[in-house]
Order: sequence, then structure tokens, then C-alpha cells
Amino acid sequence: MKKICIMVLALILFNSCTKNFEEINTNPNQISKKLLEQDFNLVGGSFPTFMFNLMGHQIEEDLCYDNWMGFMGTPTPFVSNVNNTTYYLRWIDAYWNRVYGSVMSPTKQVIQLAQEYNLPLFGDWAKLVRILAISKLTAIYGPVIYSNYGTSTLGTIKYDKESDLYNNLFTQLDEIETNFKANTSYTGFIKFDPSYKGNIASWLKLLNSVRFRLAMRLVKVSPTVAKTEGEKALADPVGLISTNAENFLISLNGEVMPVSMISFDWNDTRMGATMESFMVGLKDGRIKKYFSEVSDASLVTDHPAYKYKGIRSGAFINAKDDRVSYSTVSTDFKSAQNRRGFTASEIAFLKAEAALRGWANAGDAKTNYENGVRLSFADWGAAGVDAYLADATSKPINYVDPKDSKNNFTALSSITIAWDAGDSNELKLEKIITQKYLATFTNTLEAWVDFRRTGYPKIPHVAKNDSSPDWGVITADQWIKRLVFVPAERTGNTAAVAEAASFLTSGKDDIASRLWWDTNTPGNF
Amino acid sequence: MEALSGKAAGVDIGISNSGVGGSTKTVLRGSKSIAGNSEALFVIDGVPVVNNKGGQPGSYGGTDGGDGLSALNQDDFESVTILRGANGAILYGSQGANGVILINTKKGQAGKIAIALNSTINFSNAATLPEFQFDYGAIGGSDYSWSKTKGDYQRNYIKDFFQTGVNTINSLSVSGGNERTTTYFSYGNNNASGIVPTSTYNKHNVTFSQETKLFDDKLTLSGNVRFSNEKSKNRPGAGYYNNPLTGLYLFARERDFNDYKTNYQVFSTERNLYKQNWYSTEEKQNNPYWELNNDPKLSTSNRVIASAKASYAFLPHFKFDVRGNIDYNDRLLDYRYAAGGNSVSVSSNGTWNYTKYNDKALYGDAILSYDNSFGKFSLNSVLGGSIQDYTFNDGMTFSNGNIPLQYPNFFSFANLPTNVPVNQTYSRVQKQGLFANASLGFKDMIYLDLAGRNDWASTLANTGNDSYFYYSAGLSGIISQMVALPKEINFLKLRASTSKVANEVPYNTVSPNNIVNGNNTYTFNPQTPFSTLVPEKIISNEIGIESRLLNNRLNLDFTYYKNSSTNQFLSLPASSGSGYVFLYVNAGKVTNQGFELTLGGDPVKTDNFGWNTSVNLSQNKNKIVELIADNPGYQVGSDSEGFNSIIKSGGSFNDLYIFKFARDASGQIILDDAGKPSKAAKQEYVGNLNPNLITGWNNTFTYKNLSLSVLVTAKFGGVAFSKTEAFLDSYGVSKRTGEARDAGSIPINAIKGNTPQTSIDPALYYSVIGDRNGIMEPYVFSRTNVRLAQVSLAYNLPIKGTAIKSASISVIGRNLFFFYKKSPFDPEQAMSTNNSMQANDIFAIPGTRSYGLNLKLNF
Repeated sequence: MKKICIMVLALILFNSCTKNFEEINTNPNQISKKLLEQDFNLVGGSFPTFMFNLMGHQIEEDLCYDNWMGFMGTPTPFVSNVNNTTYYLRWIDAYWNRVYGSVMSPTKQVIQLAQEYNLPLFGDWAKLVRILAISKLTAIYGPVIYSNYGTSTLGTIKYDKESDLYNNLFTQLDEIETNFKANTSYTGFIKFDPSYKGNIASWLKLLNSVRFRLAMRLVKVSPTVAKTEGEKALADPVGLISTNAENFLISLNGEVMPVSMISFDWNDTRMGATMESFMVGLKDGRIKKYFSEVSDASLVTDHPAYKYKGIRSGAFINAKDDRVSYSTVSTDFKSAQNRRGFTASEIAFLKAEAALRGWANAGDAKTNYENGVRLSFADWGAAGVDAYLADATSKPINYVDPKDSKNNFTALSSITIAWDAGDSNELKLEKIITQKYLATFTNTLEAWVDFRRTGYPKIPHVAKNDSSPDWGVITADQWIKRLVFVPAERTGNTAAVAEAASFLTSGKDDIASRLWWDTNTPGNF
Repeated sequence: MEALSGKAAGVDIGISNSGVGGSTKTVLRGSKSIAGNSEALFVIDGVPVVNNKGGQPGSYGGTDGGDGLSALNQDDFESVTILRGANGAILYGSQGANGVILINTKKGQAGKIAIALNSTINFSNAATLPEFQFDYGAIGGSDYSWSKTKGDYQRNYIKDFFQTGVNTINSLSVSGGNERTTTYFSYGNNNASGIVPTSTYNKHNVTFSQETKLFDDKLTLSGNVRFSNEKSKNRPGAGYYNNPLTGLYLFARERDFNDYKTNYQVFSTERNLYKQNWYSTEEKQNNPYWELNNDPKLSTSNRVIASAKASYAFLPHFKFDVRGNIDYNDRLLDYRYAAGGNSVSVSSNGTWNYTKYNDKALYGDAILSYDNSFGKFSLNSVLGGSIQDYTFNDGMTFSNGNIPLQYPNFFSFANLPTNVPVNQTYSRVQKQGLFANASLGFKDMIYLDLAGRNDWASTLANTGNDSYFYYSAGLSGIISQMVALPKEINFLKLRASTSKVANEVPYNTVSPNNIVNGNNTYTFNPQTPFSTLVPEKIISNEIGIESRLLNNRLNLDFTYYKNSSTNQFLSLPASSGSGYVFLYVNAGKVTNQGFELTLGGDPVKTDNFGWNTSVNLSQNKNKIVELIADNPGYQVGSDSEGFNSIIKSGGSFNDLYIFKFARDASGQIILDDAGKPSKAAKQEYVGNLNPNLITGWNNTFTYKNLSLSVLVTAKFGGVAFSKTEAFLDSYGVSKRTGEARDAGSIPINAIKGNTPQTSIDPALYYSVIGDRNGIMEPYVFSRTNVRLAQVSLAYNLPIKGTAIKSASISVIGRNLFFFYKKSPFDPEQAMSTNNSMQANDIFAIPGTRSYGLNLKLNF
């Protein structure tokens, strides 16, 4: 009997051991909120990751708009040479998932923590980062989830019409601007900001610059809003990104520059033929800073003095080996620590266009145009900008692919460089946008926006067009207009995606549907 | 565990085809858990065996990380019993809810010394290679063999790549004792080389157990210790990357393979080291011999399982057992890829995937039992408590991926690049339980079994739900003793039972914390804390009949069951706009219902000759009744480039969805303007990757000292999917693409615009439907397969003399041939023993057939 009592007691003792359960169930290899509070890391510590995730990698940029705009070309016949580069989609959701998973979702937690810990400026900073990300996402897909983000866990989440979205973004930029301006001497960001070292004035310049960029997108579809917002940005005393020292550079956080990894390690990307056509034709000194010469002279018999050979967008490819010897990117990229997110040259070109449109405080078109080119040359350390700007005769060349003549093209653009006051506005705009295109290497999304909006620069079509009703048919006289809504959303948020498709002008969710600001009206003025 | 396959009803065993020592997947009565594994619990001598499964291959590569069962020495097993229902959960905790496989090991016997020697040698070779063409090469040096002109090319290199695998298993056991103490000792050695060259496996097992009776046999002290050491080199994997089979199968036919075999590496003067010599630079191909020789994979496991038990019958009818067990496993997975390999998956200085961890499982229980009879009633009862504390994956893992090591080909920690995080892993679960069961019998005819258990689980800490109770109740009656039955029926028993089992949630899901990334940044945890988590619940009901007829010459065992699992713990990808990346929910209702039937008998039984035959048959129907109650349309899919396994309400686990051809109303395939078959707009359900019906038929013929045993197994229903065939077709290396070119074109029932088309160019057709993301409709095959699973002929040598007590020699053949198989690969030799990737083949090594010889000697 006594023994039974001892046993029962022993069994009862088991129960009191559940006190340790919380400790047992805590993963010692994950860092708690409490620990992150030290050195104030909790609210600000993930901002470098947010910035990093504003940019993408191979299937987001290199095989999409880098390729469609002819900055890069791929030697690899992915999926039997039928893929995004030939207008048959294989990769749809990578940047979408990056924005929602690595920016929108964690910034939701930051915004909440900023409130909890009474650090409101971090909340504004997080909102600004969201605007930077969403403004890119909408340029790719069109309607996106923004104002309804986080409102439901398992139910339908509606998309925003682009017109509503842009209004919302401008309003939010106003709010953030007010808060930042009231706190220009705030030092809280310093530890977490590899781009601007916590300098609020610099962030205000970026804010104004983003406003300016977004405003210009709307000049055809909503000219009044465009002018109001654009002039607001131009008039602000804080100013815009005007010198290369003020460029918005995004730290790679120790990662290898994507275009370097893809070019040198994977051999999956090379110079684009369109870039070759423009830069060799225009004798552009930046070419050696962007790309490397080929070692095989037989590839460049069409222009032996310029040993650069690119790959056509949407090329006919038999084997990867055929074009691995074409121009890689410059080896400078191997040691890159950061990449360009917004440059002073883009602002200069925006001002040049604004001047053509007669916006207040835009300055003089020619001065801004030439300034844009000079800023870009200086930023990349290229020589010869004076001779370049004085050149009124050099034009883009025709492209020849030594391995397969099906990839050859005749240059559609006959643009020259030197500014001529007697040119029509349309021709002046073509010069501005062409130079803006050449200046924005490795930061190419806005070039795709400008092309769809203005039709410049005059780039060739894809050589191989595999578009089909599966994702949308791009006729031979057109180029791709957008990416479709992601498959996971189509199956998991079907009603909202159907509604979002109805927001598009064509009503169809395919790659041939133009975005809101891509109005298909002739002429830019 | 493969030995059980086909011999017991309702036991669905999947074996990894990675070779000897690979992992297995044993499922009884269907998949119950959406997120967790539904595998049975293995119990050895009353103690659960730790089965911490390593990673499994997926589409992009990987190798079977092994499991905890391969460490055991099967020669130590005395008996194996299967507890199918959830009743095992009461004794062993909720991990027994999926069924329990009880193993009792051999013990010494009083009064004699027994020495047993068991020696086996098995030869295996590749049995289910895909079918290839070797007549047509590639045009202009392309990677794709689409020439239309035949050539005289090498034909044997794929066959010659595989070798005959040799597996030798030797074990020696010595046991003996007296009335007081018995002892058992064994040593086993398992040595294998696989069908893929350079893959080897070595295992040593040492077991020692002893039992001593004291105090007039009232107190029994026993202890045992098992050591095992396993070493596996170059275990074959699957998937696209760093897999020798991709380059081997897809080799452009006009090239000289033998040259690439001898010269798999070429010296680079630019880098002053050897680089891979291969003609294609695409990311999924490697020179197979570079892979085998320069990318060594090492996997080791050192394990000790020790337990001690005291059993004290302190009063008549009472017994008190106290037991403690420790299971410690030290694992290393060290995969090294040399510099100069495929630049997409291997960095310029080499890539190193390294994982080292230990698993420590502590188990203790105290059980008081009382057995007595009161007149017509009998009572067997048990009251006990147990505690288990499992610490898994306590260690580290890293991979430098594409970021170069500092110096080429040096694999040591100091040479890691500075911006690669070295991850530390850890998980711990502690569960405590109090349980009781009672079996009340009446006149040895009717039995009532009642059991209850309360568990406390650390993974539900802070939810208020960390304590949960579950029960089972059963009633059985031996009808043949209660009423008079026709004399043909010797024994008839009916039984029915119901049980409710609760299961805890995974480690660290209630309040996960944030992740440090290793480059001075951190990431917020991608899911929110879930403080209202509740345990999963499984309710199972079963009824059964057991009967022996015709003078005990015929026996029948039939069970019908119905299970329902609710409050499933699910980690779902959150929708883009939800605010989260992952969601944890308790949701879902999954039902499994089916039957198990075993019918057997001895049609012939004479003094010299006997024939025993036994058929087992089982069927399980799995249904996901509900996923998220508020959102009936919610679904989770894992689209792996054309192969999508969607989980949604109304469907089942492992439902396969693919894109089929777009067809018009009359069934003609719609061709686009370029004449290419087009894809349907949405993915469609084409079948389920699990079989419908599993059956085995075993016949044993004995004649004097000879015994011949023939086992035929079959699985009916379901579909199998081969990504490998899709690739072989798009590259033009499969036999069917060769035959299509021989014929000139492929017949097709298609329409282009308004014009019907009855033939199509092979290159055009296969390049559209094949490869990673094509139209997968032609690559879905029937999973049904019927095979001669095992034939064994054994001879008991007639022994005269006293030294050798018995000896037997036998020959065994396994997987000898298929009576019926439609899929190009063997669906039962899986590339993965996970829930996903079932009946799916992505460049996994072919299934094998084996022949062996065994000698047993007992002294």
C-alpha cells in the first residue's frame, strides 16, 4: 500500500513539470523582440532588407524588362527557347511575391511597432518604402493590392484601380512629407540607413523625386493631376535629387550584384543588341563601363573598332554555347556594393520633359537635357561627354548577329544626340527619352514605363514571338504591355482578380492589355 | 521494413529508391494529417523508436537524408505485430494515432546457449530504365537531339553506367542463460554497393541485452543497449541539379559519350585547376562521371539506444514496471561539390552543403498493472505515466550556394565566405502523459476495453490548451463460444471500437521569433503568433470480424474503419494581400474510411506437403471534407512547373492537377497559328497519386525440408506522373520520339483554325508538350502495377550431430517481374518518402530487381 502511495505521488510530480513548457517551446536560434529592443534594433533593423527587396534578380528583371527593353539579352534557350523573353510567360510572380512577402508584410509589423514604441517617423519611413515598392509593382501588373492590404486573412482582398492607387500614393506622399519636414533633424534612422545615413533632407529629396516620376507617368491619361503633382515636386524648396552625391543607392547587403552573378557565374545574360545598336552607333563612352569587350574578333566584323556584341531581345537560339562569348557586363560589377535606385540624371531628364510641357520651375529643356547626360557620364566615370553632346550626326547602327541572321535588325531609331532648338517637341522628347534610356542601365523599370508611355526610344521588336492566347497575343507591330496577375491570386483570390481585370482598359487579364497610363493615343503633346 | 510490404493488409510501405539504408514511409489507413506525417510509430520492446527523417529530394535536387529506422538490425527482431487503429495511441501517446508497429526483440533463453549465424548476399540491378532512342543526334551542336537523319551512334553507355549492386549482410548472435539471468548479444554487419557506381553503404550493429530475475522471480531487472554506425557515400538523389542521370539520359546522341566518360575533367590553364568537361552549359546537366568522382556525398549516423527496466511483482496480481530509455543519434551530412562544376549550382570555388546535428530522445514510464479474475469476470488493467523529451536537429547547417568559398576545393570552416550564415538548428518537444486502461472479460467470451489518456505537450504552451484528454473504448465477443455455430466455423469473433486521439502541434509555432540573416540584417518572422492553437483531433471507429473455419484450415480477418481528423494544424501560404506570408490555422476535416481483409488457409496439409495461401486486400478512401470553414473555396497548391498537387475541400491528398490539351467540343486538340498544340486555360484534376486498392497474395509450399514461397503484390488505381519522360521527350532522346521520326510524323486528332489536322511533326509536338512546363497530359500514367514481388526457396538442411542445431539455405528474388505496369518507372520505389512527391519521378534512379542467397546456422 505504501508503495502505491509513493507511486501516485511520483506521478503527481510529473504534472508540476509543465512550468518549463514555455521555455522548452521557444526556439533559442530565433531572436526575440525583447532582445531586438536593445540598441533600438527592433523597429529599424529590417530597413536595409526592405530596400534590398525593392530590386529584383534574374526572373524578375533580367529575363523581363531588362530583356524586353534590350538592355540585356540571354544566350540561354530557357524552356526550349519559349519563355518571357519571347513573350510566352514562364515566370510571373517572383517580383510580386518579393514585394508582398519581403516588403509589404514585414512593414506591416514595423508600422505597428512604430506605434507601440512611439517612434512615428519609422512608421512614415516604412510607408515611404512601401510606396517605392508599390509604385514599381503597379508599373508591371497594373492594378495591385494596396489600400486593402492586410484587411482580411482568408477572404477576398480587393485590388485598387490604378487611378485610385496613384491618387492614394500622392496623398500618402503628402502626409509623409509633412511629418518628415517637421522633423528634419531626426537622427533615429542613422544606424539603419545604408543609402542616406539617416539624413531626413535626403529622404525628402527622394520623396519629391518619386512624386515627380509618378506624375510624369500620368501626362497623357490625367494631365491635370500630372501637372499639379509635378509642379509640386519642382517647387518644393527641399529640392530633388540633383547631384550624383544625392543618388539613391541601394546597398546589396553583401550579396553579389545580380547582373554580375547572372552574367559571370551562370552565363545566362549578355549585353543586349539594342544597347549595342545605340551605344556603338552613338559612340557612347559609357559602353566600356557597362559592358566588356569580346575576345573573339570574328564576332565584331561589322564594327571592328568597337568590340562589343549583344544578343537580340527574344532571339532565335539554338544552343547556349553559341553566344556565351558575346559581351558580358563590365567586370566592375563583380565588386559592386550597391545598385542605383534613383539617379540625378533621371531627374534632369524629367525636368527636360517638364520644360517641354511648360511646367513651372522646370527650367530650360536643353540645359536639363545636357545636364542629364553629363550627370550620367560622371556617375559611371565615362569620358568624352563634351564630344558626345556636340555630335549631331552619329545614329544607332543596324544589328548583325554573326551566328544567326534571323536575329539581325535594322535600327528603327535614327535619333542623334546634339540638341537642336529647331526640332519639334516630339523629336526633342525622343532625344530626351533616348538619353534617359541609355543612362538608366541596371535600373531599368522606368525605361519600360517611358517606352510604353511615349514610344521612345525606338527599339526593335522581339525576333521570336511565341505569344499565344495562353497569356495573350502580341501582334508583330507591338511589344509586351504588362505581366498577368499571379497564378496563386487567380486561384486563391479569384473574385478580386476578376474585378481587377475589369479595371484594365481592355478588360482582359493578359500581356497585351495596356495599363491605365498607356493610353494608345498618337503623339506625346 | 520492406519485408512487411505486401504481407499485411492495409500496410502501405514506400521505400526510397536511394538504395540500402534509405528511408521508408509506412502508412496505415491513409494519410490523416495534411501537414504532418501520417506514418506509423515503430515501437521496440515497448519503447517508441525515434524516427527523425532527414530531408528528401525535390524537383531541384537533393538526396534522401535517411530516417531513424535504417539503424536497426532486423536480425534482432523476434516478432512484429501491427496495431492498425488508433488504440495504440493510449499506450504510446498521440504519435501512435497513425498505428503502431510493435517489434519484440530476441531474448536469451534459460538453460541453453544458442549461437546463430545469418549470412546473406543480394545482387541487384536496374530494372525500370526509361526507353531511349540512339539513332538520331542533335543538329548543329544543340543540346536537343532532333535531327531527322539516322546515324550510327553509341548505344550502350546508359546501360553500362549502372552496375550490379552487391549487398552482404552478416550477423552473429549469442544468447544463453540460466533460470536467473539470460543474456543476448549480437553483431551485425551490412555492406552494400548500389547500382550507381561509387555509392556505398556500411552499417555495423552491436546489441546487448540482459535480464535477471531476483527475489523469487518477483523482481526482474533488464537492460539493453544497441549501437549502430552507418556510413553512406554518394547516396543517389533525384531532381534536376547535380544529378548524374540528367546528363546521362539527355546526352546528345551524336557525340562520343565514352570520351566524356574517360575525360570527365579537363585542365583549365586559366584557373590552373580541373574543370568539368561537358558540352552543354545548361544548369540541369552535368558530366555524370564528374558528378560521381568529384562531388562526394558523405552521410554518417552513430546511434546508441539504451534502456533499463525494472519490473516488480510486489503483490499477487500486481506488477509495477519502471523503465527509462535514451536514444542518441549523431548525424553528419557532408556534400561537397568541386570547383569547376556546373556554374549555376556550384560556386566558382566549389559548394559545400554541411549539416551536423544530434538527436536526443529521453523516454521514461512507470506502469502499474493489475490482472485478476473474479468468478466469471477477468480484469486486466494498467495505470501509468510517461514522459518523453525529444530534442531534434540540435546542431548546425550551412550551404555557401553560389557564393564562392575563399579558396577553391578546400572544405573547412575557415574557408567559408564571410557573408554566408551558419545556421544553428534546434527543436525540442516534451510530452507528459497519464494513462489508464482496463480490459474486462466475461467468461472469456466478451471483452470490454476502456482506455483514457491525458497528455501535456510543450508545443501548446501558453495557449491554455496544453493539456488534453483522449480515450478509446472497444467491445469484442467470441461468438463461437457464446452460441452454437455450424461445425464448419471453429472460431468467430466480432469486435468494435471507437477512439478519440489528440495530437500536439509542431515545435515553435505558438510564438515564433525573428530570424537573423547573417549579413547584419534580420527578418521578422513571416507568420504571426497563434496563441489560440488547439491540438489536432482524430476520431476513429472500426468494426471487425475474425474467424477460423473448416477445421482451422481457413482463416478470415476483416475490419472496416472510418476516421475523421479535425483541427488539423496547417501552415498555409497566405494570400498576397493578407498581411502575412504564412498563416497557421487549426482547420480542416479529413476523413479516411476503408477496409482491410485477410483471407488465408491451408488448402493442402499432409505430413510431407503443405500449401498455405493468404490474400490480403485493403482499400482506403481519403477525403478532405473541409479546409477553412469560412472560406469553402480556399485551396493550397504547390505548383511545381506543370505538376500541381492541390489541397482543397472536396478533394483528397495527393490529387494531381495538370494542364491538359485545349480541345474543342468534339475533342480535337486545338492548334495555334504556328501549328503547336495549345494548353487548356486551367489546370484540371487527372487523378490521385495514391492507389485505390492494395493487395498481396502469398503462397507457401512446403515439402519435407523444402519451402517455396511466392508473393505477388499489386496496387490498383491512382495515377503516376513522370517529369523524366517529359524531359526525355522534349530533348528527343526517348524511344517514342525515335519511333515518331521513323514514322515521319505523329498521328493526332487536331484542328487548326477550322482545318482538321491528322498528323504533326514530332519535334514540334514534343517540344511543346515536354520539358518543365509543357502540357503534361501524356505524362500521367496509370499507377496500377502487379508484380512478382518475391520468390524464395528455402531448404532446411537435415542435421545429424549435436554441434549444429539447425541450418537452412535459401535463395530469394525480389521485384522479379511485372505482370502489369503502365508507368515507365516503378511507382513503389519512390524518389521521396515525404507526403508530396509520391508516384512522381524527376530523374530518380531506376527501380531494382534483386536476387540473393541466404545461409542460417544455429548452434
